[in-house]
Amino acid sequence: MPIKWVLHWQPNAGHTVNSQILAEVSQCVESINGVKEGKWKATLSFYRPLLKDQSNAAEFPRDFLGISLPEQPNKYYFVLRGHRLVVEADSTIQTIMEKLQSYKTRVALNFEGFQYQLGDFQLRVGKVVSIQSESLRGIVMEMEYKPSSSWEKSHKIMGEFFDIWQEALSKRQLPGHFVHMEPNFGEYGLSGQYTLQHTAVQYATLMLQMIATAQSVRN
Amino acid sequence: KEKCYKLSLDLKQSTNGHVEALEILLLGLCGVPKENLRVHELCLKSGPNLGSEASEIRILCDLMQPEPAWTVRHVGGADQISVLVRTMVESKASKHVLRLFYLLGYKLDHELLRVGFAFHFQRGAQITVTVSSYSRLLKLHATDDDNVPVTPGIQMVEVTAPASAENYTEVAAAVSSFCEYLAPLLHLSKPGVSTGVVPTAAAAAASLMSFSGSTNIRHSEV
Repeated sequence: MPIKWVLHWQPNAGHTVNSQILAEVSQCVESINGVKEGKWKATLSFYRPLLKDQSNAAEFPRDFLGISLPEQPNKYYFVLRGHRLVVEADSTIQTIMEKLQSYKTRVALNFEGFQYQLGDFQLRVGKVVSIQSESLRGIVMEMEYKPSSSWEKSHKIMGEFFDIWQEALSKRQLPGHFVHMEPNFGEYGLSGQYTLQHTAVQYATLMLQMIATAQSVRN
Repeated sequence: KEKCYKLSLDLKQSTNGHVEALEILLLGLCGVPKENLRVHELCLKSGPNLGSEASEIRILCDLMQPEPAWTVRHVGGADQISVLVRTMVESKASKHVLRLFYLLGYKLDHELLRVGFAFHFQRGAQITVTVSSYSRLLKLHATDDDNVPVTPGIQMVEVTAPASAENYTEVAAAVSSFCEYLAPLLHLSKPGVSTGVVPTAAAAAASLMSFSGSTNIRHSEV
């Protein structure tokens, strides 16, 4: 599986994300000769325990996420970020969770937009939208390098491409920038060979950051 | 998105002596060679505070594969089509799935080792017949030890087939009709019944269903 960096938009202090920024980002990809290919979509759901007695809530995980990715529509990914746990399952696991009635999905988010080809790279630009309210909650990008599946070996070229991208975008003087957070994949029991489990972990990691940002804006 | 269910019919076939006869019958019916089966079943139950009702989940580890292969299995209650049919939903999962369910608040209720053989074939549906004996593990995860047979001298026969919402009725019919071929052997192997007495298939199956699955072999502590 080709290496992928998942980036998220970090607004400057006092600013939020909006559709104008999304439009500028997409235009920027096209301006560096990214060729628009088609649409993509990933989903993320928060699972919350159904408890008889709320006072024991601390015993149960508060960061239980379910993720579906477009590369494998028949698979589903669970992440418990605090425990550094990732599980890949068939998508029927969602039916099993519904039947168990021990956890329910609450907020669900869609990551969706267009993907672009740029030489050896595939870029995806996506808005983060709540399924319930359709309001724009953030912007993500996926940067995939097709020739390599080794995280270590591709690190330098990914870093260089990321710098090129940041520089192109900075000319538009937008109130924010893209951030790449690099999880410690080893802590999740993942190897240096890239898989969709690595992608699921990156999404779970950036989710934490997005929530923290949203909370600090509210405060 | 299409949901995948498996219909599961549990029949009891008594006495190990008749397993060979059953195997020959199945070989003739299925037309494919058998596959050996060795599965570690971890049966988990939700902790006391989780969910408005208790829930159960099985984590299966296929010990025949070079690397442990994990499956999550949920078995539903009796179906509206027939009391003999239950719905099963399965998902393959990667190796941390057991730890996941522990962290979600599920506890190990009991462990079983299932040893036997399986036939996979097409007959109106993609059918799998397994003939296996279950033994309860006495020590945590000790699949290699001598363990306690759950039903000494008795094998469990399970017939399963995947189904979607669209073809559910057809698949249930195919499974039920296939099971009628097994009825003679069930009669043959029912303990304490002379070969002269022939219970009807339904009566035999109904009396067997009361002993099917793991409902009656629960232990609260490992």
